Amino acid sequence: MTSRIPAGMRYYIGAEARLRRTVEDVAMSVFEGWNYEEVITPSVDYYDLFEQGMGRAEAQRGFRFTDNDGRLLALRPDVTSSVARMAATLLSERPRPLRFCYAAPVFRQQTQSHAEWRRENTQLGCELIGVGGTAADLEVLRLAAEILARLNLQSRCCITINNVEIFNGVAAHLNLATAAREQLRRLIDTRAAAELRQFLQTLSDNEARAFSQPTQLTGKREVLKTARATITNARSIAALDSLEELWTEIESLGLDNSFEIDLGDVSSLDYYTGLSLKIFVHGAGASVGRGGRYDGLTGSFGRAEPAVGFVLNLDALTEVLGRGGKQD
Amino acid sequence: MITIAIGKGRMQESALALLARAGIGMSDDAVNSRRLALVDETGQYRFIFVKPADVPVYVEHGIADCGIVGRDVLLESEADLLLPLDLGISRCRIVVAAANADAMTKVQGMIRVATKYSQIARAHFGSRGIPVEIIQLSGSVELAPALGLADMIVDLVETGVTLRENGLTVVEEIAVSTGRLAVNRASYQLKTEEVARLVKALESTLNGGQ
Repeated sequence: MTSRIPAGMRYYIGAEARLRRTVEDVAMSVFEGWNYEEVITPSVDYYDLFEQGMGRAEAQRGFRFTDNDGRLLALRPDVTSSVARMAATLLSERPRPLRFCYAAPVFRQQTQSHAEWRRENTQLGCELIGVGGTAADLEVLRLAAEILARLNLQSRCCITINNVEIFNGVAAHLNLATAAREQLRRLIDTRAAAELRQFLQTLSDNEARAFSQPTQLTGKREVLKTARATITNARSIAALDSLEELWTEIESLGLDNSFEIDLGDVSSLDYYTGLSLKIFVHGAGASVGRGGRYDGLTGSFGRAEPAVGFVLNLDALTEVLGRGGKQD
Repeated sequence: MITIAIGKGRMQESALALLARAGIGMSDDAVNSRRLALVDETGQYRFIFVKPADVPVYVEHGIADCGIVGRDVLLESEADLLLPLDLGISRCRIVVAAANADAMTKVQGMIRVATKYSQIARAHFGSRGIPVEIIQLSGSVELAPALGLADMIVDLVETGVTLRENGLTVVEEIAVSTGRLAVNRASYQLKTEEVARLVKALESTLNGGQ
């Protein structure tokens, strides 16, 4: 017997466990109100699934072990991969769109110094599969906003939205090699303004100037105007158009106080194909949720179709709610 | 109010001087006191003084919204932070040093590297496919080669005097390190105006000083 607990694992006792269940129930009832069907996916699956679904770098953070026949298994590091496979295979004949939601623990290796040091996290998430366009994007954004409102966090939260095709269009227009594209992405992602300006000078292209001021990339509608002043390539323009359409809908619903446009959110370019979103709440040091459109994912399981979704981190949410916002 | 974590020691003085020039000042009494948390005269900023290696930790966890810390510390910590400004203070170099300048060409098999910066050393030699044994020390790294603990060291060099006095020369420069402003990702979105005000104040001070 040992009294030690592995790093990043923990107990939840009494009030804390109750709070977790309450938050989970709130999220699941909002999902249910929007006709999302609950799905419970296998806790253990083939490692290949996650590499295909999340990309190698993320999947490698999963806890891995071998099956009796020697094939590599993993404790699920995410749920989306599994849902995407299910939609493309098991449910390939079901009429679209598919709406699924889940509350499930995921397991990821993590260096202990990291702020998101827990290795077991419960994700509250949803996936809307088989329908693209603004209406679907708006639906998941409204879901996220509604859950936060039901948790009384609407005045303390901020959902940032972006369309990754804006960056992709500029990078393609500039004809950047892989390494240079990654450098541009990293400088925008970390808002390293001076280095970014230096880097863009070497490109000497008008198009690149769009990203020259990272501080101007975050805000409301005016961000789009700033971007349009310099961006001319068709791919980025199309993405700006769809982001603007989405923003107009957000405004007309009166939700624009909870949302921000952040063209500098380029952290998961390889995963998302259109909309990307991050959810921040006062009192939490890191984002409490993320999501976006991943039209490329189900294709890798044999049935390409549009899909969009997001996850909330139950642990991060309950920590903020449990403190009652004392930190701010 | 936003909280700024400042690394104690090497960078503290130049960081506070820069902040003062940017109009974010504290009285000398406050600075000279031994308190580890202070609020500036306008009440807009709270400062906490922690070990440099802990600055990325406080900022990544959002306990501090911003931090002032050397690039060497950031590279070593691998923390996920925003880095909007290079403050240009406390400039120094992260180098590989050994007794002989051609040490790199002579070593075969495994190199033993003594350092305080094990992540940086591992990444540097790893990217070149050189197998290394990292010997983690917490100080007086320059002694290691002379005493036979290691073949080379990876360390921070400001003037190079310490290296020379211990019979070492720079073999390679890994990176230049200066003080940086680091910002928590959530604070950047949730305290947009306060963070932007700080960045702008520091930026115009830096540009004005050139």
